[in-house]
Amino acid sequence: MASAPTAPPAARFPASPSRAPFGRFLAAAFTVVLAISLREAGVDPRLLVQSDAVGNAARFVRGMFPPALGVDFLGLLVRPVIETIQISLMGTTIAVVIGFPLGLLATASLMWRGALHERTPVARRALLGGVPYGLARALLSVFRAIPEYVWAFMFVRAVGLGPFPAVLALGVAYGGMLGKVYSEILEGVDSRPIEALRAAGASRAAIVLYGLVPSALPHLVSYTLYRWECAIRAAAILGFVGAGGIGQQLALSMRMFQFDEVLTELAVLFALVAAVDFVSGRIRGRLV
Amino acid sequence: MSDTRATAGVGGAHWAWWTVAGFAALVAWSAHGTRVDVGALLGAEGLGQMTAYVAGLFPPDVSPPTLRDAALGAFETFAISFVGSVLAVGLGFSLALVASRTVLYRGILYAGERLAPAGRAGRIGIYALARGSLNALRTIPEILWALIFVFIVGLGPFAGVLALGVHTAGVLGKLFAEVIEDIDPRPIEALQATGASRLAIIVYGILPQAAPQFLSYALYRWEVNIRAAAVMGFVGAGGLGQRIHVAISLFHEHQLLTLLLAIYVIVTVVDALSAYLRARLL
Amino acid sequence: MYALSDVRKVFGNDAPALDGVSLTVGRGEHVAFIGPSGAGKTTLFRLLNLTLRPTAGVLLIDGVDVAALDGAGLRRARRRIGTIYQQHNLVGRLRVVHNVLAGNLGRWSLSTAVASLMRPRAADAARALEQVGIPEKLWARTDELSGGQQQRVAIARVLLQDPDVILADEPVSSVDPSLALTIVTLLRDLSHQSRKTLLVNLHSVELALGYFPRIVGVREGRIAFDLAPDEVTPELLGALYAGHSDATRQLDRIHDGIGSYGTACRPLPGFSK
Repeated sequence: MASAPTAPPAARFPASPSRAPFGRFLAAAFTVVLAISLREAGVDPRLLVQSDAVGNAARFVRGMFPPALGVDFLGLLVRPVIETIQISLMGTTIAVVIGFPLGLLATASLMWRGALHERTPVARRALLGGVPYGLARALLSVFRAIPEYVWAFMFVRAVGLGPFPAVLALGVAYGGMLGKVYSEILEGVDSRPIEALRAAGASRAAIVLYGLVPSALPHLVSYTLYRWECAIRAAAILGFVGAGGIGQQLALSMRMFQFDEVLTELAVLFALVAAVDFVSGRIRGRLV
Repeated sequence: MSDTRATAGVGGAHWAWWTVAGFAALVAWSAHGTRVDVGALLGAEGLGQMTAYVAGLFPPDVSPPTLRDAALGAFETFAISFVGSVLAVGLGFSLALVASRTVLYRGILYAGERLAPAGRAGRIGIYALARGSLNALRTIPEILWALIFVFIVGLGPFAGVLALGVHTAGVLGKLFAEVIEDIDPRPIEALQATGASRLAIIVYGILPQAAPQFLSYALYRWEVNIRAAAVMGFVGAGGLGQRIHVAISLFHEHQLLTLLLAIYVIVTVVDALSAYLRARLL
Repeated sequence: MYALSDVRKVFGNDAPALDGVSLTVGRGEHVAFIGPSGAGKTTLFRLLNLTLRPTAGVLLIDGVDVAALDGAGLRRARRRIGTIYQQHNLVGRLRVVHNVLAGNLGRWSLSTAVASLMRPRAADAARALEQVGIPEKLWARTDELSGGQQQRVAIARVLLQDPDVILADEPVSSVDPSLALTIVTLLRDLSHQSRKTLLVNLHSVELALGYFPRIVGVREGRIAFDLAPDEVTPELLGALYAGHSDATRQLDRIHDGIGSYGTACRPLPGFSK
């Protein structure tokens, strides 16, 4: 500053607050964990620039062009694409079938809390409301925590190989996610129409049907459509571990080092995901 | 007037019925195509097989070598997800900067200047390239990236780190770019009026506003990545996934259960850490 | 300092926000701009602080044509102009010390700027905060301060920037009336002490007439008048604010001798009133 008066002694202005100890601790912890993890995960940037890696990368990129565009090959891809779409649709449907009832049961404001239950005695509330609520939440949690491929693997034991176990796996895992989000949406619904209905003497079922569902429905459907977008990607991934569809084709082509096929299949996957995102986006736009 | 209203109502109902019918048809078609066989699932054989198998996994193998192997696998998976996420944040953020129009060629940072048409076209091109790259990184599933990197750098966790990093960079980059484009421009305008350079404005004005959202997305994505890290092992990218693949192939059921429990533990730990950090820092 | 000839600013396909604006401001002058909202005062200020370019006409700052400025030259020119806005012009999540030191950004290299975020030279910021009366807020998070305090932080930032011109765009419109007077006098005194040019856009006609020796009225993108305060008649004001009801209420109150700011007008030494 050009025209500053004689500088006041340092003690005249407040000292900087002791740097929040948590911040320092976090920074230190982060550095330590990163250092250890770098070693554990065998991270070696030099590997990337070694001749092997560069050579392999070059082979990969060169092998992709020109992409495999023979009519036979393209025809071969039709069935897997359809299969992936069907897996995603069916999986999401089952997820709704599982997730919606459980989601209803896992909504505190429906089961034991809030305006609907004020006049119910505590014991009755706990038994008829609290217990199913707890069970539903636990079940949804388990469904969500176990990865889809583990579910898929278990279902293969039950029903054999093919797309069906993948559908079930998606249904269960996504059912857990849908159920949780459904319950959150239902909890967040504006309570005034509900109270109005209750004041008018409506039964609990009527309150749910006429008060809760209509206002929550757009959000429920919107999130379900979003899940479908994820499902199409998950279906592709499950294909890698044997569930059919475009994912299985990709894995096959990679294993056989047919990179030109990989490029075509990737393009198809892109198109598929973009199409699903587009359709889902349009419907969601109409809703909200 | 009331006529048109009535027909509109009926038309609306028709539209709804068509959607439901179309949807039901899609589901039926999918059920057929994926060979849904509820009978096989719920029938005695299906259910029996499933329960027999699950029961057969118990008890988990808790001998020291298995436990050590599971712990090692868990640490490796954790490391893969951690480094992968850090890499993703760095790469994603860099790409996000060039994938935001307000940083590159539009908005308040460019209002007082004259961008030569060639320069502007060039910047729009860079923007398109950045967005396209993010899209490509995102849409290629992590597993495929894992296969690609296994091909390039060989088997092991490093391939997993790269795969996760690259894929998640695509996801985070898109989210980060959206955050950057949505920030409050008023402090930016004020900083620009002091004569600050664009980079200084980004550091002082854009980053502080965007940082909480960035952190939130990154931490959330870490929860997704720990699960993905476990799967990628199937294709040779190390961690618990690789050990599970081995256990399945060799029919070591009890070890398999131990490994599955290890996955559950490590996933829960990361979920808890992520939730705690998000609550504490945001 | 400033010389505008026939400046016009058009946004997209709308009617011009400013048209045919010609204005000269000398060094060290204090000018107040008044007029109804939407008249184009903010656009004018954004042209004056080089945030926007004129669509047509010539804007000279210290003899240099703004149209010729670009890149580093533009930034150097901007450094000489300090701006205070109505609100929301500080980075909320940063601490006050960083927002104040941001006044240096026009001078600092990028590495210095980044280093300052980690180890700020708090003494400089503290001095500026003392001049605006809130030295104790040095390390507070900016979004925890009240509106009036934030405006003072903004002024402290301008002090550190040490520009030749201070532009204040409705600096007290979102602030308590009791505080508004303090802030306007602060701006006036600080500019007078360091011989800076001060241009203020005011919503309150009373403050303008009471504290500034030159009043420019802006209406519908044009300059309606450019006079000393005692030459500004109620008729001129009425014509300026015609059709804007809230402003006319303000004018009625002034006319009836009811002041919103309590204290008597205090003339600045050197200016007649």
